[in-house]
Amino acid sequence: MNTTLPAISLAILAAAGILAFLRLAQPHAVWRRLSLLLITAGLVMVIAAVIPVLIQDLRLHLPLYHLNGPLVIDFYLDRLAAFFILVISLVGICAAVYSLGYVEQHMEPKRRQWLLGLMAFFILAMIAVVASGNYFTLILSWEIMSLSSFFLVILEREQAENRKAGIYYLVMTQFSTVFLLFSCLTVYHSTGSMDITTSIPANIMPVALLGFLAGFGTKAGLMPLHKWLPYAHSAAPSNISALMSGVMLKTAIYGIIRIMLNLAAMPLWWGIVLLALGTASAVFGVIYALKEHDLKKLLAYHSIENIGIIVTGLGLYTIFTWYGIELLAVMSLTGALFHSLNHALFKSLLFMTAGNVINATRSRNIEHMGGLVKRMPATAATFLIGAAAISALPPLNGFASEILLFQSYLGAFQIPSIFVAAGVFASLAAFALMSALAAACFVKAFGITFLAMPRSPEAALAREAGWSMTTAPAILAGLCIAAGAGSARFFKWAGLELTVPDLLPVGLIILFVICILFVFMRLLKAPVRKAETWNCGQTAITSRTEYTATGFSEPIITIFSPVFRTQKKLWRNFTDAAEAVIRGGRAEITTLKFFEERIYLPLVRLAMTIGRKISTWQNGDLDNFIMYAFIAIAASILLAGWWL
Amino acid sequence: MVSILVYYVLNPLFILAVSPLFAGIIKKVKALAQGRTGAPVWQPYLQLCKLFRKEIIYSDNASFIMRLAPYLNTAFMVAAATMVPVIFLPPEGSAATNIILFLYLMVSARFFMALAGLDAGSSFGGMGSSREMSLSAIAEPVTIITCAAVAFVLNTTGIAGMFAATLAGSLLDFPTLLLAGVSLFIILIIETSRVPVDNPETHLELTMVHEAMVLEQSGPNLALMEISHGIKQTLLMALLINLLFPQGMAGDFNIAGMAVGAVSFIIKGSVLSIVIAIFESSLAKIRFFRLPSFFMVALFFSFITVVFELLF
Repeated sequence: MNTTLPAISLAILAAAGILAFLRLAQPHAVWRRLSLLLITAGLVMVIAAVIPVLIQDLRLHLPLYHLNGPLVIDFYLDRLAAFFILVISLVGICAAVYSLGYVEQHMEPKRRQWLLGLMAFFILAMIAVVASGNYFTLILSWEIMSLSSFFLVILEREQAENRKAGIYYLVMTQFSTVFLLFSCLTVYHSTGSMDITTSIPANIMPVALLGFLAGFGTKAGLMPLHKWLPYAHSAAPSNISALMSGVMLKTAIYGIIRIMLNLAAMPLWWGIVLLALGTASAVFGVIYALKEHDLKKLLAYHSIENIGIIVTGLGLYTIFTWYGIELLAVMSLTGALFHSLNHALFKSLLFMTAGNVINATRSRNIEHMGGLVKRMPATAATFLIGAAAISALPPLNGFASEILLFQSYLGAFQIPSIFVAAGVFASLAAFALMSALAAACFVKAFGITFLAMPRSPEAALAREAGWSMTTAPAILAGLCIAAGAGSARFFKWAGLELTVPDLLPVGLIILFVICILFVFMRLLKAPVRKAETWNCGQTAITSRTEYTATGFSEPIITIFSPVFRTQKKLWRNFTDAAEAVIRGGRAEITTLKFFEERIYLPLVRLAMTIGRKISTWQNGDLDNFIMYAFIAIAASILLAGWWL
Repeated sequence: MVSILVYYVLNPLFILAVSPLFAGIIKKVKALAQGRTGAPVWQPYLQLCKLFRKEIIYSDNASFIMRLAPYLNTAFMVAAATMVPVIFLPPEGSAATNIILFLYLMVSARFFMALAGLDAGSSFGGMGSSREMSLSAIAEPVTIITCAAVAFVLNTTGIAGMFAATLAGSLLDFPTLLLAGVSLFIILIIETSRVPVDNPETHLELTMVHEAMVLEQSGPNLALMEISHGIKQTLLMALLINLLFPQGMAGDFNIAGMAVGAVSFIIKGSVLSIVIAIFESSLAKIRFFRLPSFFMVALFFSFITVVFELLF
């Protein structure tokens, strides 16, 4: 295949970024539109370049630049990489369309340039990560991706909250790079090959595998390494949140799958680890999302949940492969890959529409919204489709991929080991819980944000977003419907023998019944009146009497209070000695930030203690420093001699 | 080809037609248990006719969700009704009857009903939606594990395939189905908002869940909501009946068999309705936050089914 098309398309993407940076001093809307046009054109060409790879199952090496020794910038494309590049490009195009309106909305002109330039390089780096042909290119593009997204997170650096989110993100992303670097070097040390498809030898397999899992898992937001995700996603501009949540997390999923394919034989423990981590992330992600009233943080917790679903699929794939149940293994892997695409579609859709809402109401707290369905109908309709898709309602795409996983779960009785089978069934129960909680959470998110009456003056004055900011989510909504209804036909066309129900007839039946009912109701000619309905005996309904997000999720939070470690404290004053009549009092409800207070902070404190101990050695005495240098050199010589 | 078309038309229509009858029987038996005479069993039909002639009132705050929800709700339930054969089994592999798809169609109907509850801005509807979504969330693992257990015992995920298996064998071939049946019965109680989970009779703030959500609906829209609720109840009853006692249902497309199937389903459904009514009458409503332990009983039975099947 011709290698010029990929090269040109990447060059166009880079040019878009450079153009935005060149115009920092003279920011003008025309140049920004040109930049976005270039990004779109570049991504369309990327899609054109990867589609032949997908269809013809090609394997291409595209070496770009030879640096030194094994350090070559080299790209490699196969079906897996091409699939993920396709996902990135699709979402990237929609994000570019959305950004046309979004960047003009707020912030000073110079920052708009920064936003676009960084965005172009961010997309470029994500494609490069997935297309990496060797570990060197992988780490290099991984770092560009991390840094460009870090600068995007702190773009609005005036707010202390965003700076904190940025630092949190930077530390966690470097944490992930350390583990990746460690594993890459371990594999290189043992095989002498940097190639991304290097088969991992059995003796270093557990170490390398766990290193890769920690590295990629941090970026993907797997529990317990997920804490950066809600902070960073809510701090970043909405078009970037859409990209980060929709596709950046998927680059880590790509990494995990790539490493799994490099194993001669996947061990059973790996499958169990993935299944356990995936289920935990899925369930806890959605439970934390239910508590969240910050719209973007809520969506970010749902990203953790969906990454959990994908990793669960990978775990099932490993377990079924280990027991030689080919059909179910293929079904789980397809489910995981298909859910990666679907999550990219509906999550970026949700982040974009959330961006519209936040722009219109100047708040991220859903308790300050409400009534937006009448003021922003297009945004509301697209958000509703996204919410229905993420809640796995048939016939949309979220259900299409989750049913693949459900079907493989239901086949778990074919596993010969009773203990593993029972574990998989337990995981199925958790998976079902997660799925139902997600639906509850999105009833809350849509209901409180869009329905009933405005809960703040800003929400009452909200206006619909511009055409580009409603078109991009609408395209994604269309893709969500198409990917759901057409899923079974697509699998058949692609030659995958999967036992999944065809959702297209189901969708048509639903549509048909709605039409019949509509005609029937028209024939009934029932009179329609707009009036005040039952208002619980109050004189007038105001937004103060509406059900709140807190109230909505209260039953679930009470039921799951052991998870939240909710503590309720009450202080009461009494007017009489017998303590019968209450005069007043105070109540306090606190929830424990479990991961921060029990895992992260102790680690940080340990590091601080060690650091303080070490800092006493640093006393400014030259003799001491020379001695340290001597000891260090001697130790490294000894170690090297012993190691090699 | 003819048989599948007949199936797609006849099955939902039949379920639609009999569901008010079962609701009427339950009400009648409950009334008798309380020492009242009660309304005649065909009262729900008259109720629907009355509602279809009334006017629709929308709250000033209500949006298109309120207007769309009754249609969507009924459409989802009718789609689900094409998946549970009651009179005769469609030819193998011709209809999508996947059990997970069936469950998620019910979830979809609930999703839009809960949104409609929030739409008018009254705290009653919101409370109903919140409670309904919370209950359904903790009930979902029970439902899925029960379905997994049934799918495991009968070795298929298609509802039509399951019924074919039980129709060909007898309950003695699948003794563990009795255990799963206990869970299915509890799920039936949960999903149809009956005592001890919810009280379908009262309009008291303290007790109601489902009724609070549809409080804002009126006229033909309310009729549609009632119809879809009735379909849901009949479907879950049909699932339980045809897994345990499928005898009488026609195995293929023939007129005589279908007539027998229809009559026998009405009889079996009526018996089950009486059982439900007696069960309801003999229990008090459980406190809301005590409900998870009631659900755990069902989860226990379905897990036992899975464990038995794994061991033996």
